[in-house]
Amino acid sequence: MALPANGAPDIAQGFDSDGEKIFNRFNETPLAATTGTDGTRTLNTYYELRQYPGSPPRVPHDVPDSFSGDTLKCLSCHGRGGYDVTLEAYAPVTPHPEYENCSQCHVPRREEKLFVETDWQSINPPLLGRSEMGGSPPPIPHTLQLREDCIACHTGNASVAEIRVEHASRGNCRQCHVPMIATEPRQEFTRNK
Amino acid sequence: MKLNRRAFIKSAAAGSAIVAAGSIFPGISFAGWQQQEGASGQISWQKAPCRFCGTGCGVLVGVSGDRAVAVKGDPNCSVNKGLCCVKGFHSVQALYGKDRIKKAQIRRNGKMVEVPMAEALDVIAAKIKETMEKHGKDSVAMYGSGQWTIPDGYVASKLFKGCLGTNNVEANARLCMASAVTGFMTSFGIDEPMGCYEDIEHADVFVTWGNNMAEMHPVLFSRMLASRKRKKNVTIIDFATRTTRSSQASDKSILFKPSTDLAVANAICYEIIHNDWVNWDFVNRHTTFHKGKTNIGYGTEDHFSFTDVPEDITFEQYKTFLEDYTPEKVEKISGVSAKDIKYMASLYGDPTKKVTSFWCMGMNQHVRGTWIQNLVYNIHLLTGKISTPGNSPFSLTGQPSACGTVREVGTLTHALPHGVVMNEHDREMAAKIWDVPVTNIDPKPTYHTVEMFRALDRGDIRFMWIQVTNPMVTMPNLIRYRNGALKDDRFIVVSDVYPTPTTDVADVILPATLWIEQEGMFGNSERRTAHFDRIVPGPGDTMSDTWQIIEVARRLGFQKQFPWGEDEYIGKIWEEYRRFHDGPKHNMASYEMLKERSGVQWPFVNGKETRWRFNTKHDPACKPGTDFDFYGKKDGKAWIWARPYEPAAESPDQEYNFWLNTGRVIEHWHTGSMTRRIPVLHNAMPESYVEINPEDAADLGVVTGENVKIISRRGSVTMKASINGRGVPPRGMVFVPFFDESYLINEVTLDAFCPISKQPDYKKCAVRLEKA
Repeated sequence: MALPANGAPDIAQGFDSDGEKIFNRFNETPLAATTGTDGTRTLNTYYELRQYPGSPPRVPHDVPDSFSGDTLKCLSCHGRGGYDVTLEAYAPVTPHPEYENCSQCHVPRREEKLFVETDWQSINPPLLGRSEMGGSPPPIPHTLQLREDCIACHTGNASVAEIRVEHASRGNCRQCHVPMIATEPRQEFTRNK
Repeated sequence: MKLNRRAFIKSAAAGSAIVAAGSIFPGISFAGWQQQEGASGQISWQKAPCRFCGTGCGVLVGVSGDRAVAVKGDPNCSVNKGLCCVKGFHSVQALYGKDRIKKAQIRRNGKMVEVPMAEALDVIAAKIKETMEKHGKDSVAMYGSGQWTIPDGYVASKLFKGCLGTNNVEANARLCMASAVTGFMTSFGIDEPMGCYEDIEHADVFVTWGNNMAEMHPVLFSRMLASRKRKKNVTIIDFATRTTRSSQASDKSILFKPSTDLAVANAICYEIIHNDWVNWDFVNRHTTFHKGKTNIGYGTEDHFSFTDVPEDITFEQYKTFLEDYTPEKVEKISGVSAKDIKYMASLYGDPTKKVTSFWCMGMNQHVRGTWIQNLVYNIHLLTGKISTPGNSPFSLTGQPSACGTVREVGTLTHALPHGVVMNEHDREMAAKIWDVPVTNIDPKPTYHTVEMFRALDRGDIRFMWIQVTNPMVTMPNLIRYRNGALKDDRFIVVSDVYPTPTTDVADVILPATLWIEQEGMFGNSERRTAHFDRIVPGPGDTMSDTWQIIEVARRLGFQKQFPWGEDEYIGKIWEEYRRFHDGPKHNMASYEMLKERSGVQWPFVNGKETRWRFNTKHDPACKPGTDFDFYGKKDGKAWIWARPYEPAAESPDQEYNFWLNTGRVIEHWHTGSMTRRIPVLHNAMPESYVEINPEDAADLGVVTGENVKIISRRGSVTMKASINGRGVPPRGMVFVPFFDESYLINEVTLDAFCPISKQPDYKKCAVRLEKA
């Protein structure tokens, strides 16, 4: 369902923060797969794999050194998700399957010890449930860069429990949820007269 | 376990063991998550070029208080459009290793003791003066880096060449892209690529020559894969000596025997001519034919010298020269089937296909490095596939400012910010801008890098100041050069951010600021200059490399040449330096413009960046009335060179029966002094290894993880075997990544170099293996 390359000659691919990704994913994903709640991922396991809010997660499972043979490609599990019997887990779905050089950003851990200790610190991840008014739809607390596809991370068995939506049957996420990046200064409206 | 969000919140509220509550209730930290004290929870983003490779990605550094806490790709930077690689995404963590060098140190009675910064700078200035008085001006040397910022390299050149009057300025980029420079100079008469990264979206065919882009230039590699996915008819050919991740992602992987890329490139030209795929209109109007000396040696002996003597030849003579390189003859030399050679030639020769060639260390670290660049340019020139979108022979660089600081500022023994020391006009220009007598600038180059370390060993050089590089890991034939540096009466100053094998041999260590702890500029592979502000303060007494040099220059009496204040010096230096490049061939953007944009390409003329040089449609320096103008050469032509195949300096024999090839891995930057202090990267790639072909490993009786001793005529190292790992060498070759200071593979390598570029060949020497 990608925009035909010549369909809208003046409109750049990926306009509106790659907004079409949501619709494509919604179209491609069977409803049953968007409503599953069987996975065990939590925000804690989610952030354990990251160095700061928004960093690419490391790969938590073994990867053969020779990885990249066709049958082993990351996307065979992480493209659409599904249950992996050997790892006894649902494979998280990548929000950016168009990038195929996965190991460019995601690396496994082959050693627990550090080379030297680090003094690294970061800020805490955004808080959840930041509705502006009681019951109003919470804004999107993170940047959309590389994470434009809401359906990939916020629905289905592999999604993180705390951020899983209960209304995955609605496919136009940004109808109600708008970006308000929690880690950036809040912009107040002032009339520019 | 079935757990929807409502049930989860209930269970958390009921005090279950789930520790994720920090996300909902403030003040609770995640396990293993080091929270910055007093963090406001807000990040401000500031632009910088990435610290690591020559791709020159734009990053946005997230700052909280006075600390860098996050990174994202800069969507405004056309290089990477918001994407980074794993090094870039974690780059800011390189600032925070616990063993940062924060104080100056001086060796006293064999022990390093901490001293105030001013005292260390006094000692350095006094030692320079004393050494020059005792042993002559060419007994002191500066050894810098393609990771120097542009101001770092500029003040180093100004102090040593302009003020002290010695051409003893070199940089590690000699080990990295000197052959790329001499390739450009011999074929085009002017340095740096004619094309740009936009070629990736235009090209139909990519040929990568000895180049594992999936690991070394990952952002450009994924740009290539994305283009293939979008356009569907794109072909990627991996032409290499070993099977890598890049081979796996390519449409076809073709392996050749080390050094025979020379023969294959000639065979491709043979095919182009014999199938009449030559773009005659282009060749007749824009090229001339030449040959140079042959059998030119390898530089393994001290004081080796070589000067090429170019001769004009005719097309017919060139065609006759190529008779030795029919695909069938070259199949025997190279191990590449005649069919594959013809296939590659047909891709270059097809007039409907736009072809981009990429290369980096495979062609640069090559004892015939200049020649192989010439030969690949030949292919593009014969077919006229050059200087137009998608048709691009593209030399990638390894370091973030190899182009910006070393090639453009000219921090090599023969070079000046504009031109070379041998040229009177260039000397006059430098003397004028630097405000020094023209007689200060010595018209004779001194030592290139390998010869500089030989001179240190011999005692011709007694003082060396090393900044932003780690030669005690990276010099080939390392044992000799380390012993040389350790000799009595040698004085080594090292400016660095962490302890390394190079600080181990230092007499003075200066604590340097790292990357965004100082203001500066880098210049990437596609002629793009990118500015970064001082975004966070450096720790302890750390000082920028530029300011260290200025402090020493003033102590030596050069206040007039180094007059700037600490709050303005980067901008002032930039505006002074920019005068060297005035004019449409190399004009650079103003300081204000650089501060504003995520990188600006030169030539920057009338407010416009030049995407494709030598093409009249895109490049305002071209003479009007023609379609192409190769203005680097006096005749306005690009040179096609007859260059033969010659073997490596040391090939496997009965006794030393394996090729040794060395290189990098995606996780680590060069010698790992920064990336090994980044937890994710070290944990993913904790130590080096030797890749062995499975059949060779079986013969040797080793399996993955068992120790193998790699022995050459110069040294040996014992390390773990990797079989069918990340890369697979062919039979008879082993590959070792050089990032790990615990396994100094450069004690094994050979210091042979390209006689024209003087760049060493880290990809080819002979070793034998023992099960250890």
